[in-house]
Formats: sequence, C-alpha cells, structure tokens
Amino acid sequence: MESKRSKYILIGMSIFCILLIIITSFRDSFLDPLRTGVGYFLIPIQSGVNRAGTLIYNEITDYSQFKGAVKENERLRQQIDGLIEENTRLQAEQFELNRLRELYELDQNYQQYKKIGARVIAKDSGAWFQVFRINKGSADGVRVDANVLAGGGLVGIVTDVGANYATVRSIIDDVSRVSGMAQQSGDTCFVEGDLTLFSEGRLRISKITKDGDVKDGDRIVTSNVSSKYLPGILIGYATDIVTDETRLTKSGYLVPAAQFNNLQEVLVILELKEEQLQGGMTTEQGEQE
Amino acid sequence: MKRILLNILLMLLAFTIQNGIFPLLPFVAATPNLLLILTFSFGFIYGKEAGLWYGLLAGILLDLFYSGSFGFYTLLYINIGYFNGICTKYYYEDYITLPLILSLVNELAYNGYVYIFSFLIRNRLDIVYYLREIILPETIFTVVATLLLYRSFLFTNRRLEELEKRRD
Repeated sequence: MESKRSKYILIGMSIFCILLIIITSFRDSFLDPLRTGVGYFLIPIQSGVNRAGTLIYNEITDYSQFKGAVKENERLRQQIDGLIEENTRLQAEQFELNRLRELYELDQNYQQYKKIGARVIAKDSGAWFQVFRINKGSADGVRVDANVLAGGGLVGIVTDVGANYATVRSIIDDVSRVSGMAQQSGDTCFVEGDLTLFSEGRLRISKITKDGDVKDGDRIVTSNVSSKYLPGILIGYATDIVTDETRLTKSGYLVPAAQFNNLQEVLVILELKEEQLQGGMTTEQGEQE
Repeated sequence: MKRILLNILLMLLAFTIQNGIFPLLPFVAATPNLLLILTFSFGFIYGKEAGLWYGLLAGILLDLFYSGSFGFYTLLYINIGYFNGICTKYYYEDYITLPLILSLVNELAYNGYVYIFSFLIRNRLDIVYYLREIILPETIFTVVATLLLYRSFLFTNRRLEELEKRRD
C-alpha cells in the first residue's frame, strides 16, 4: 500500500519537475520571489560558512608560505604565542588589502562605469559548471546581465539576482559566449568558454573573418556590438590564431586577464548594456523595480 | 522526529560545505558530492518515500543555487532517493559493500545525466575527456567519502534509536 503511494508521488513530482524545466527554460522570472525568499534564509548561512572557510584557508596559505620561517622561529614562538596569533590575523588582512588595492586599480581603469565591490561567498564545487555567488543583490542595485570584473579583466555576468545575493556565470563556463573584438583592429570575434580548455587556463576564440587583423598577443576586449557586455572591457590576450579549414574564418585561443582560481572579491558594474542601447533617456525608470 | 531534523540539518550543512569550503581548497583535484551521498544513504536506510523527500530537499537547494531551468536537479535527486529506497530491503547494518556499489552507480548516473542534458545536447562530443577529467576523479572521491560518511551515519543512527527506545 505504502509503496504504491510513494510510486504515485514519484511519478507526480517527476512530471511536475519536467513541466517546470520546460516552463523555466523559456521564462524563469516568476520564480524570483521564491529564490529571494530562500535567499534570506540561506545566504547568512553561506556567508558564515564561507567566512570560516576563508579564515581557515588564509591560515593554511600563510602556513605553507612561511613554513621555513616558522620553523626558525619555533623557539621564539613558544614565548610569543599571542603575538603570532595576532600576526596571522594581520597577514590575512594584508593579503586582503593587496587584493583590494588591485581591485581599486581596476576600478580606476574602468572609471566611467558605476560599480560596487562584492565578495564571493559560494562556488559550485562540482567540475561541470563555473558558477559562483556574491553577497550583493538587487538591494544594492545589482541586476541580471550586470558585468562582473576582477583582477584586470572581465570575469562573468550576473544570471540571477535575489535581494541580498547574485549568481554569476564565469566566462570560462562551458555555456559562456562573449562577443569580443581586437582592440587595435576592431575585428570582431566570439570568446567561448570550453571545459576541455579550462585546465589549461584558456578560452576559445572563433569567427574572426579571414581578413581580420588579429595576431597573437593582441588585447581582446568586449565588443561594441555585444547585447549584454559593455564595450571596451579587457577579456584577455589572443594566442595561437590560425585560419580555419573552411578558409572563411580564423580561430584560436585566449588567455584571460582575470585569475579564476581563488576569486575572492569582484567588482560589479551597475550599468547595463541594454540601457546604454536605449540611449540613456529612459534609463533609470523602467528597469528599477 | 529528532532524526529527521538532524538529517535535514546535515543536508543544509553538506550544501554549504560543498559551496563554501570545497572551492577554497585549490590543492584537491575533485571533491566528493556530499548531497548525493546523503540522498542515496537516506533512501537506502529509510526507504523509498523518505528518500524521495530528502531528494526533493537536495534538488531544490541545488536548483536554487544554479540559475537556469528550475527542476533539473530536483528531478534527478527525487529519482535517486526513490530508486535507492528500493534496495532498502537488502539493508542491514555493517554491510558496506552494497552502499559502495550504490555510490558508484549513483555517481555515474548523476554525471551521465549532467553530461547528456547540459553538454551533449550542445554538441560537446568529447566524452572521453569529460570521463577522464571530471567524472572519474569525482566518482573516486565520492566513493571514498561514502566509505567514511556512511559508517558515521549508521553509528549516529543507532545511537539515536537507542535513545528513543530508552525513552519508551
């Protein structure tokens, strides 16, 4: 009797899920209240665990870096245990300061855009997707399709936003596809994430016209014609550009400017490309709510 | 009742560890899929219907984390919970071989599902690469983690049962 019932529940829920998948792959905005609601509950937990994890992580890095020095100081350390502890904390803060300084420099480079800093609080641990979550959301002005920067270049795009969090898809994710151009010649191309290239730290560049002037080492920036990415943001540097077999296009690889392992702080650009396209007249009103 | 609350808490903890702590460890090549381990273990220990509900929780957590089609993970996890629940009739304590085999099968099913519906349909055909670089490491880590975690579930489970009995 009981097993019949659970079978019906399973079938019912499976069908419901499939329907939901179909509906949400066309339109998922009606789930936003649910995501936001759960976010209120889940984000504090995630931030807390993340903070603890970061602390532990920083201590581990400190330890491995200063292992030699620490050995030498072993004798001294017994006397000044308290001091060392404080030192570790200061070290962690120093690292953070350096990272924030780098971020600030980046901020100077792209000064024309309004941005806010955010902290990465969660990341997918599975290897299939490159998605992470930051601790700023719609309450701070972050919206879907906002561009995300770190460490010298483009990192990704916001795909989903709650009141106090946002989910970001990195440009190294397999489904990511950014419309780019060579900064010198202005020739357009596509920069695609590819899981098989991920471990080499490269992305794929494709669809450069055969006469396009893109050479190894050229700076690739986001293109003017992109519908979601603001123009002129550095993505990375072209490498191994060759003509395709069809002789119609060229393709190659891109070394990203941003460092993707150990992302901890990022900058989110609050302006959207969409608004720029509309011409700034109706900018603030329509999208705000 | 206490056990259910504890298990739900465990799931939330596993989810946050998976997203908050594991990505910070740069020196490990792959990480075990804790939510998967919890889902199939609960299904295996408590039966089909319980597995279904725990799977629902795990799936919703994951679906909320990823943007995109909602229900993708829920569909998979409720099925994993349910089908592992079928094996519950072979469940008896201290028998570790079956859970390990289940862990292997589930992990392969999980990765196969993700590969087919997120990669193969976009014409990413290099399955050998994905097998070697992603599926295999994660599977090994998950099976090893099962070996460690499953025992501790059983232990706490038995303790709680004893406590409940004593109260009666």
